[in-house]
Amino acid sequence: MNFSFSDDQILLKNSVRAALDEQCKPAHVRAMFDDPKGYGDALWGEMAKLGWLGLPFAEEQGGAGLGLVELALVLEEMGRAAYPGPFFGTVVLGGLGLMLGGSDAQKDKWLSAIASGKARATAALVEEQLDWNPASTAATAEKSGSGWTLSGLKRFVPWAHVADVVLVPARSPEGVSLFLVDPKSAGVTLKPMVGIDLTTRWSEMRLDKAAVGADAILGAPGTAGPVVEALLRRAAVMASAEMLGAARRCLDMSVEYAKVREQFGQPIGSYQAIRHRCAEMLVEAENAHAAVYYAAWALTAGAEDAAIASSICKSYVNEAARKVCGDSIQVHGGIGFTWEYDLHLYFKRAKALEPLYGDAAYHRELLVRGQVLHYDNVGK
Amino acid sequence: MDLNYTPEDIAFRKQVRTWLEQNLPKKEIRTLEDRLAWHRKLYEAGYLGMGWPKEYGGGGARPMEQAIVSDELARANAPAPSNSLGIGIVGPTIVVHGTEAQKKRYLRKILTAEELWCQLYSEPNAGSDLAALKTSAVDQGDHFIVNGQKIWTSGGKIADWGLLLARTDTKVAKHKGITCFLMNMRQPGVDVRPLKQITGSSEFCEVFMTNARVEKSDQIGKLGEGWAIAQTTLGYERGGRALARITNYASHFSRLVGAAKRMRRHGKPLIEDPVVRQKLGRIWSEIEVERYQALRTLTLLERGEHPGAGGSLTKLSYSELEKRFMELALEILGPYGQLTEGAPEEFQLEVETAVAEQGSWAYAYLWSRAGTIYAGSSEIQKNVIGERILGLPKETRADRVGGKA
Repeated sequence: MNFSFSDDQILLKNSVRAALDEQCKPAHVRAMFDDPKGYGDALWGEMAKLGWLGLPFAEEQGGAGLGLVELALVLEEMGRAAYPGPFFGTVVLGGLGLMLGGSDAQKDKWLSAIASGKARATAALVEEQLDWNPASTAATAEKSGSGWTLSGLKRFVPWAHVADVVLVPARSPEGVSLFLVDPKSAGVTLKPMVGIDLTTRWSEMRLDKAAVGADAILGAPGTAGPVVEALLRRAAVMASAEMLGAARRCLDMSVEYAKVREQFGQPIGSYQAIRHRCAEMLVEAENAHAAVYYAAWALTAGAEDAAIASSICKSYVNEAARKVCGDSIQVHGGIGFTWEYDLHLYFKRAKALEPLYGDAAYHRELLVRGQVLHYDNVGK
Repeated sequence: MDLNYTPEDIAFRKQVRTWLEQNLPKKEIRTLEDRLAWHRKLYEAGYLGMGWPKEYGGGGARPMEQAIVSDELARANAPAPSNSLGIGIVGPTIVVHGTEAQKKRYLRKILTAEELWCQLYSEPNAGSDLAALKTSAVDQGDHFIVNGQKIWTSGGKIADWGLLLARTDTKVAKHKGITCFLMNMRQPGVDVRPLKQITGSSEFCEVFMTNARVEKSDQIGKLGEGWAIAQTTLGYERGGRALARITNYASHFSRLVGAAKRMRRHGKPLIEDPVVRQKLGRIWSEIEVERYQALRTLTLLERGEHPGAGGSLTKLSYSELEKRFMELALEILGPYGQLTEGAPEEFQLEVETAVAEQGSWAYAYLWSRAGTIYAGSSEIQKNVIGERILGLPKETRADRVGGKA
């Protein structure tokens, strides 16, 4: 039993922190608000060089062969920095999706390209009704020659506008299947969906008889349900890691501010109204830390309760981040409500992730089905 | 990071489980004699004072082994050993701060429950502000004379000895004038009266000391060090109970789910009500998160580190959760949850308590109100977290004006 980071993991965390402190300052984050692509090539190239883009991939695919604990460490730092860019879409949604369901040829092609920084990926996991259950997939895949044509409407696809490949679930006669789609190909239309979090770019993705080849399907037709479920679990935990990082940043800023901001002749942090709020925020951040890293470990180790831990993680961290980030604005008072102060970068980043990959209620229901009632142990 | 138990830990757990299957009392424990017999059985098996040094009768065991034993006891719903304060707080205090003679004199008898202990800290006017305590200990040459009143003394009725905080110097700042003693409770100057709580039971007592005598040789640490000693003892027992607490919650939770499966609302089983499911799911995730946190605490303890002020995070988190959990239980159980008598079996809680017949949801519910008050209220824990972990400035307090404290 050892619930602490190894020296290598601490080293990784520190090096990610140092790199982002240097190259992803709030000024950079803000500069990307108005950038057509929304992220910087220099930092992307640096990430490739540092090995972050292939972190969880096998070494033969140009990866570092590390697990989800390490990936969560990186994502926590990205949340803390409100890093704007397609890392999550590429490495988590695209990369882990290919690792879970891709053939050797698909992995060789895409994972090496992702790890080296040449390719970006994402996944289109939700449709207009926002049901995260893959069984709800309404987009269709029809056999056409040796390949397929896909039709349907996907929403909230992260960073699709810069992706080279999108994992798209669609219903073929056999059931839910997963396809690799080039978002620039004929029949695919992207439309920006602009949310409050300007560090994240979403697209609506319309597929109108978009043609893909025979080699575009992951696995056999109709077998994608468990793959998408497994990917969603990973996405939920990795999104939680980002939210944890954003919450930590909000807490740190609140504590620092409470030490120096004076009202009634004293630092506001000396008043219990503020101090107790900060203490509650720390409890939530620490509990969120435990939930994230337990789940990341459980998924990596294939622990019996990995699915349960993932749902506990997302439902817990959703509400913990909501409280910590929300309270941080309250601790700051008026300054925390201004555009020029950086707090809203992290507040909005966490907020944007809250409904994605299953909100708290969705995951609690999974939890109740899987564990509390011993109905069906989802995806075990 | 590896959250698997080692093969040794798994084997040890199996061994404890087997022992419990063979040795658990077959009939309900009703008398102090029964309880002491069970206590001695546990001690002889090596399951009490496991972390204490071997030369004083302890087991020299690792924190994980201690946690496993208390976890298995919880899993088997085993009766608690007696002398819990002796084992949890007094013994460790003597181990760390006592003289050789004190260790030899007291430790083994704590473990064997030949001498039962209580803790004499809180006073009617010194609760959260414990350092304001007024009970006095006056130096009489070879002994001290103690006068004052203590309250919230758990197990005071049956205690032979008490770990006492008393004021030995009224001229210095309040934290610096307190000394720690071991006091014989079986003397004419000590009057113990049961305190009836909102549960209707009396686990706690009030203790009145009128010219009670404490030997010089029973002073712990130096004069004026009592406050510092008390600070180190408050968190001693939390780590070892970390897993057991969660196991208790988990077993209560499964009782609650069982009850919800039997009840109906608008003609449908209550367990199919999405609102109920959401609430159950939320509490279950909070219980599991406490379990993850317990594993973090155990990791620290296994490395020989002390959680320090981090213990305040743990205590704040679980005691507040326990209140939310019990509120939900009573919400789901409706009036069944309030029954102290006459509850059908499926709506009983069956927790082990000092008073066996009161193992009801109602009793557990009422008790949950105590957890955020005793051993440092939630408000005090938040002060500790704010000041010692987050480094926030101390507040201006009337008793600190003039830089005295």
